[in-house]
Amino acid sequence: MRYITVLPEFIPMEEVKATVSQILPEMEIVNDLSLDKYEAEVLVATTFTKLSRKELEKFPNLKYIQIASTGYDNVDISYVKEKGIALCNIPIANKQSVAEHVIAFSLVFLKDMMFLNQEMKSGNWPMLTGSRDLEGKAFGIVGMGMIGIQLAKRLLPFNVTILYYDIRRMKEEDEAKYGLNYMELDDLIKNADIISIHLPLTDKTRGMFGEREFSMMKDGAIFINTARGEIVDIDALLKAIKTKGIKAGLDVFPEEPPDFNSEIFKMDNVIVSPHIAGVTLESQQRFLTETISNVLRYAQGLDPLYRVL
Amino acid sequence: MRGYDAFSQTLKDLKLLPVFGNPGTTELSALRHVEDYVLTLFDGISVGMADGFSQFYGSPSIVNLHSVPGLGNSMSFIYTAKMNRTPLIITAGQQDQRHLLMEPLLSGNLLSFVGENVKFKYELTKAEEIPSAIRKAKMIATTPPTGPVFLSIPMNLMDEEINYEKQDDISINYNTNNKEVLDYVSEIINSAKNPSIVFGWEVDFFNAFKEAEELAEKLGCAVYSEPLSHRAPFLSSSKYFAGDLMPGSTLINLKLLQNDVIIFLGGDITLYPYLPSPILKGKKVIFLGMNIQPKFGEFYNVNVKIFMRELKDKIKRKCNFAKPLDLGMTTKIANERSNMGINYVFSKIKKEFSSYTVVDEAVSSSYILRNFMGYSHNTYFTAKSGQLGWALPAGAGIAMKHNKTLAILGDGALMYSVQTLWTLKRYKIPLKIIVLKNGGYVILKSYASSYYPDMENKAFLNFDLDIEKISSSFGIESMVAGNDMDELKWLAEGEEPKLLVVNVDRSVPKLFL
Repeated sequence: MRYITVLPEFIPMEEVKATVSQILPEMEIVNDLSLDKYEAEVLVATTFTKLSRKELEKFPNLKYIQIASTGYDNVDISYVKEKGIALCNIPIANKQSVAEHVIAFSLVFLKDMMFLNQEMKSGNWPMLTGSRDLEGKAFGIVGMGMIGIQLAKRLLPFNVTILYYDIRRMKEEDEAKYGLNYMELDDLIKNADIISIHLPLTDKTRGMFGEREFSMMKDGAIFINTARGEIVDIDALLKAIKTKGIKAGLDVFPEEPPDFNSEIFKMDNVIVSPHIAGVTLESQQRFLTETISNVLRYAQGLDPLYRVL
Repeated sequence: MRGYDAFSQTLKDLKLLPVFGNPGTTELSALRHVEDYVLTLFDGISVGMADGFSQFYGSPSIVNLHSVPGLGNSMSFIYTAKMNRTPLIITAGQQDQRHLLMEPLLSGNLLSFVGENVKFKYELTKAEEIPSAIRKAKMIATTPPTGPVFLSIPMNLMDEEINYEKQDDISINYNTNNKEVLDYVSEIINSAKNPSIVFGWEVDFFNAFKEAEELAEKLGCAVYSEPLSHRAPFLSSSKYFAGDLMPGSTLINLKLLQNDVIIFLGGDITLYPYLPSPILKGKKVIFLGMNIQPKFGEFYNVNVKIFMRELKDKIKRKCNFAKPLDLGMTTKIANERSNMGINYVFSKIKKEFSSYTVVDEAVSSSYILRNFMGYSHNTYFTAKSGQLGWALPAGAGIAMKHNKTLAILGDGALMYSVQTLWTLKRYKIPLKIIVLKNGGYVILKSYASSYYPDMENKAFLNFDLDIEKISSSFGIESMVAGNDMDELKWLAEGEEPKLLVVNVDRSVPKLFL
């Protein structure tokens, strides 16, 4: 069997080649797909490599594509479907990182970090602050998948009240294990001091948070989105930020990179990060390990895990 | 002298007592004057007890099985003894020769049955052979590579009259060395860019911990233990000890990625499951030892204790490795306290039982058990074969003379040889037992989660047992540990066998790639 890995140029090739030669010597490592034809049956890539129809047509024997990431937006899905190629991602490597990112957003707001930091760096010693505790707050998690569970586990020691909504309610013993209170979405929105979204982008979740939902939120509540930008109506959010004092922690945007002239980037009660909640040195190591494992699984004659197509 | 007297006298002369066994009619005649017999209520248990006894005390032991059924019941234990390289003399009674042609009850081809799992097998043809056959069996069992041997003894020979000739006990001297190999290996290490040493079970077999530590100190590089070592391979408290190699080729390759020369001392590679990475490709790999049979690289037959003592003076220092402190473990333990996570459980066991010999059959937690309980001479034993049901009898064999022995096993493992509890009670063997109750085959669930995720929650991987009741039905005192695990103190007290059930966290660890 022939394998090929396409790496972005910023990754040190020689180091990777030395490692791969000890894992799967048949694996070829390249920086681009500049040749006309490749014989490989297995293609491993990151999201940095575009795999459109044009690139994929160079692989007449392709049976399995492994993307070393959660997302696989770089792959031409229709071509993959048409050819019956197995497409796998790695959905489990960054859940801890995203959960920590959400808590970081929450604490930055609650502890008034941005204000304090700015004041001190301006030579001031502020005597008053709006700093709040996370303890005792109602934290609403919308979408209780792998990331939601990791978030709940990390929130437990803070003594927060955890509310959650998901299209599928968990078993009673699992709710008890993680200290979860199930609520319908509207009730969660009304009761939560902090809301964090952990949903996939589907036809049902697109635009799920709009004017109606933001109008139900408590004034001054914190809204965090590390899932997908399109789940939130950004204009409705902007309005809520202005009129209800909503604080927003945003890692994702409807368009990425976003229009930096947008008013959202000028608001004091907005913190942003560039779709990087799941990207840490540690999560990259986990992506690598899981990618290797899945390719080895295939090499052993087993079905690879995390098949999305 | 009658055959049965020759049999019991030879066992005395060759210091082969006690006999571990579970006799039937075909063996009764042989046992007529045997003075020291340990009865087990399942045949395989006697092999397991003899295995533990023999390994711990460093001397061969003898087992008495009942014909074809007894041998059949014991096959997995004999296979384990083969993998453990344990010198055992296994005997079984054969039917009376005078009507073998008629294929009587309990007759059969015992030699064919035992197959390739023993180093030597023989069916006695006449009573005169009884003393010399047992002596020959002991000699072969204890000659490296050591291992089990088998004698089939027709029952009628025991009543025959023979002229008994006293057998001189055998004398085995393992103190061999090879200067040529010493020069060659030291040259390889000295010219290597980044050598590493992997220590194996023979370090314990020869009690060569001091020599291994001094060699590691001189070299200064990270050292490892062979994958799934069945005995302690190195002092785990040493700053040079970088941990156990895992049994997957990919994992071994990644761990030793930076090393160009790898020296295995008294150990070998054990692999499971299959991974497609070719093992240590392009590296110089040398195996040294007396009881190992490597499958690749180079192999030289040496006594590792003597070899290491001399090698130390011939090699140059190559690295300045020091194992980093694992300070994060404190957090892990604190986090796992409420749900009886395995790190928390072992941290408590370690405090109470640090001076004990541990016999390990906590399969899905074995790597954590090894890490917590640590390695030193005669402190760690497990089945090299992967068999379940070995630890309880092996622990019983060790505890017969060593009152600080702790068997740690899963609830599933307990049931494979649960009748050992009767033998413990009957002979007042002071074995302490911890059963980690997780309600299923967690190792299978972990394997399933890596390779067949739809199988992880299959009903046939779960079971629920009332272990306290099982234990008390054999007359063994038992308790269930609470969250503080104060019951460990109760377990350690006294000279009687006791069993503690610990209800551990049932989440499935990731044990496979």
